Amino acid sequence: MRDVTIGQYYPANSIVHRADPRFKLLIMLLYIVMVFFCDSFFSFGFLTLFVLVTVLISRVPPLKVLKGLRMVIVVVLITTVLMIIFYRGEGEPLAEWKIFRIYLDGIYASIKLAWRLMLLVVMPTLLTLTSTPTELCDGLESLLSPLKKLHFPVHELALIMSIALRLIPTLIEETDKIMNAQKARGAKFESRNPFKKIKAMLPVLIPLFVSSFRRADDLADAMDSRCYRGAKGRTRMKSLKFHAGDVIALLVWCIIFVCVLFLKYNWFGWAFIAVIGL
Amino acid sequence: MIDVRNLSYVYSPKTPFMSQALFGIDLEIRDGDFFGIIGSTGAGKSTLVSHFNALIRVQKKSGTVIVDDIDLAAKKVDLNRLRATVGMVFQYPEHQLFDDTVEKDVRFGPKNLGLSVEEQKERAKNALELVGLNYSEFAERSPFELSGGQKRRVALAGVLAMQPKILVLDEPTAGLDPKGKREIMDLVMRARSMCPTVVMISHNMDEIATYCNRIAVLGKGRVVGVFTPRELFSNRELLENGAVSLPLVTEIAARLHEEGIDIDPALLTEEELVDAILAAAGRRGGDA
Repeated sequence: MRDVTIGQYYPANSIVHRADPRFKLLIMLLYIVMVFFCDSFFSFGFLTLFVLVTVLISRVPPLKVLKGLRMVIVVVLITTVLMIIFYRGEGEPLAEWKIFRIYLDGIYASIKLAWRLMLLVVMPTLLTLTSTPTELCDGLESLLSPLKKLHFPVHELALIMSIALRLIPTLIEETDKIMNAQKARGAKFESRNPFKKIKAMLPVLIPLFVSSFRRADDLADAMDSRCYRGAKGRTRMKSLKFHAGDVIALLVWCIIFVCVLFLKYNWFGWAFIAVIGL
Repeated sequence: MIDVRNLSYVYSPKTPFMSQALFGIDLEIRDGDFFGIIGSTGAGKSTLVSHFNALIRVQKKSGTVIVDDIDLAAKKVDLNRLRATVGMVFQYPEHQLFDDTVEKDVRFGPKNLGLSVEEQKERAKNALELVGLNYSEFAERSPFELSGGQKRRVALAGVLAMQPKILVLDEPTAGLDPKGKREIMDLVMRARSMCPTVVMISHNMDEIATYCNRIAVLGKGRVVGVFTPRELFSNRELLENGAVSLPLVTEIAARLHEEGIDIDPALLTEEELVDAILAAAGRRGGDA
């Protein structure tokens, strides 16, 4: 139960950890758009280089980051295999068996797809490893605050998210406790049969639901008794501040974005990009 | 019998969250003991007792735990046999209730042991009667509509239905009123007819003094010492550093002794105190 990487903060002292969460979120947004603009091996390699640099300066052990990849590896493998088998390219296929034909283009396209998926997972994993859930929530609330003008309940949304995030470790702990209590009564959770597995989880899920409702009630009472009334007139103990470094980081990523766009569209028709633009 | 030898345990090894909970624990819990474990929060009490049931497995090169003839440091442990031998009652056991009727919930343990339906029902009935709940009245009710104390008894019955030889209790009376506390302890004493060996974690010195015959004091993952109640509550060092506080009875006796009344200051149970006070009053009456 304890090796869920997303949402597990890895404490360390690095530039990435100290950066303003708003800027980290902006960079993340930019990055995700950027990944979809990558379409050649060179541009993937180019982007991967910067991802690696970011991982290195974050001082999170690379293995931790790779652990986040473990969750999507199955999806990546399946899509890659399907893509290779069903891709319909031009020219002669490399191999043929019944309805399946394998083309060189298909292999290239599937490698790119796998690469893209992994790039899409690595950075968000790094984001959650280097920022606490609270930081992310505050950052998101601050970024979305212009929407308040449109009567969008930004604060409430952020509150719901931060409560949900805050309670994940509590829930995991509670699950552990209840599982232990049921194990002590001889329950077995290791069955391979998925139906049996679901049935075996019932003695854990029901107490978990019951305690979640109880906890929600308690929390509502506690907030009520402290006169919580929503966002109006609320101040923060730790207000977010950004530094020169945050702006520079954002600028660097903007430049990378422009480079990626350039690699894709090759505005000036430079020959070397056409060569490496496989 | 539970034999703990040189047991260590590390949480989240090889991560920044790594913390060592136990450092070379040596303990021997004999058959028939009512064994108390006390110590401040974070002393490693829960971690230690979780080993007894293999809920926490003994880590490599970190000592051994032997329950009866089962070596828990072995690679393969017969978990079914172990869990039928050691019954574990956690803090707030009522949080583990899940089934739609009390009877089914209590049968959960025996069912997991692979017993026949008749045997399951028989055991559930016995266990419910043992904890003082009338079978015909409670069997078909939902455990979620019971009172707090009743829920806890049902949860306790759920463990007793496995007919363990050793009962491990983690603060069995936490969060109950004085009457509820006494009732739970009474039924633990009744359950001893079936499982004579009891291990109890508690912060309540009155309970420790009244029920335990041997007590281990844990501090920061180490065994400070194993004492009889009399040794424990006359140990100046432990009393002064706050690891142990006096039970109410002992405190009253000590105060009376200070006031010059002829009473042994190291009394432990209510009966002893009442007898001593009556005797002292009798002597005074005789003098006057």
